[in-house]
Amino acid sequence: MNPLIYLIIFTFVFGNVFSEIDRYPLYALTGLICWIFFSTTSIQVIESIINSSGVLKSINIPTIAFPLSAQLASLISLFLSMVPFIIMMMLFGMKIGWETLLFFPILLLFSCFTFGVSLILSSFNVYFRDMQLAWSSFMPAIFYATPIAYTSSLIPEKFLWLIKLNPLYHFVGAFRDVFYFNQVPSLQMTGILVVLGILPLLAGLFIFNRLEKGFVSQY
Amino acid sequence: MEANKEIIIEAKGLSVSFLIQRHGINNIKDFIITMGVKSPFEKKTVLRDLDLTVYKGECLGVMGRNGCGKSTLLRTIAGIMTPDEGSLTVKGNVAPLMALGVGLEPELSGLENIKLVGTLMGLSKKELKNALASIIDFSELSLDEIEMQVKRYSSGMMARLAFSIAVANLPEILIIDEALAVGDLGFRQKCAKRINEIKAAGSTIIYVSHHLDEIKSICTRAIFMEGGKIALSGDVNEICDYYQTHLKRKNPAPTILS
Repeated sequence: MNPLIYLIIFTFVFGNVFSEIDRYPLYALTGLICWIFFSTTSIQVIESIINSSGVLKSINIPTIAFPLSAQLASLISLFLSMVPFIIMMMLFGMKIGWETLLFFPILLLFSCFTFGVSLILSSFNVYFRDMQLAWSSFMPAIFYATPIAYTSSLIPEKFLWLIKLNPLYHFVGAFRDVFYFNQVPSLQMTGILVVLGILPLLAGLFIFNRLEKGFVSQY
Repeated sequence: MEANKEIIIEAKGLSVSFLIQRHGINNIKDFIITMGVKSPFEKKTVLRDLDLTVYKGECLGVMGRNGCGKSTLLRTIAGIMTPDEGSLTVKGNVAPLMALGVGLEPELSGLENIKLVGTLMGLSKKELKNALASIIDFSELSLDEIEMQVKRYSSGMMARLAFSIAVANLPEILIIDEALAVGDLGFRQKCAKRINEIKAAGSTIIYVSHHLDEIKSICTRAIFMEGGKIALSGDVNEICDYYQTHLKRKNPAPTILS
């Protein structure tokens, strides 16, 4: 429901402003899917550990099972919601080609990235319970820093490097390549995506391992 | 004690500590403000230099004042907390039954909880299927109640369900942390019977309680803990007497409980 409302707002409010963007609803929707996956997954993963503190305190199970299951649940729900999304995207003029299949590897890297970032935040969230509040208030900032409703061509040349520091910029770009431009992401972009997928994941696992020992004192 | 018995749990010089937030820095804002001035975490040692040997098939009672580290000891044995120093060897699978109804998911029905908690405790799908009928039977919950969400259960019902799940698979080591205090008389007798069965089957039981009668009827040996150490260890009657004299308050409040 949520993406639908966003989409209607975007189409009416920005549709005319960004009239030079071809098939604007499709453009906005590809970005939105990406964004919604990131925001809902990260919040669920962040909460997962402290939400299960009762179980973790009384039964000896690996802590990582909880963030991991939150991530997987989120992934499954994305797959389910892809059905209406794909119908909508086709209505908005998406062409399905073999490049569309590249959605899966990109999503895998995106999941790794999301999980890595969320794992770091969820580990700290056990110690500082306002981490999740801070994160949810930080969300809108990321939203506007990512070209979801607008295109990066609207950004002045000299600030372009700034927006490229936002990892979501690259993921949204890759999703658009696949769904909107029907093209294979460039080699450079693929490289960036792989690095963005793996590094945060490793960092997340490392930090989680370091902090895990103290979790039980904080439940 | 007896040298010919097999040791199942052995702790040597065990120290376990908690991280506590002495200055109340439990959010990022405070952490940033006081950064470098105060350290947000301090270690509080709960168990220090504790030695414990539990033999196979034994039933050990654990007693002591509130906050003396009983639950921490049990959590360490269950593998939930890791020791800072010392060694701990536990041979066999542990079924922990910590405080009341923990691990039960309030939004799910009793039946779903059996599956969930059973899986968390390491039962395979097949074992769970086989045990399901006996769990429901043992918990004495009616078909109607088992379909109900656990949040609508009374505390006694929750304890019954939790206990039934924990004892379903004949654990090698069963840990009971004051979890049975709320059941009604009939259920408590049934639990005692089941505990005796488990004991007869050769499992080891660690039992925490403040009820002297319960401890006396179930356990053979007991330990008395004080300040994170085992102050006294020996025959259950001896420890119960010690417990009674030791925990008497200097100026007892007017006797409400007699």
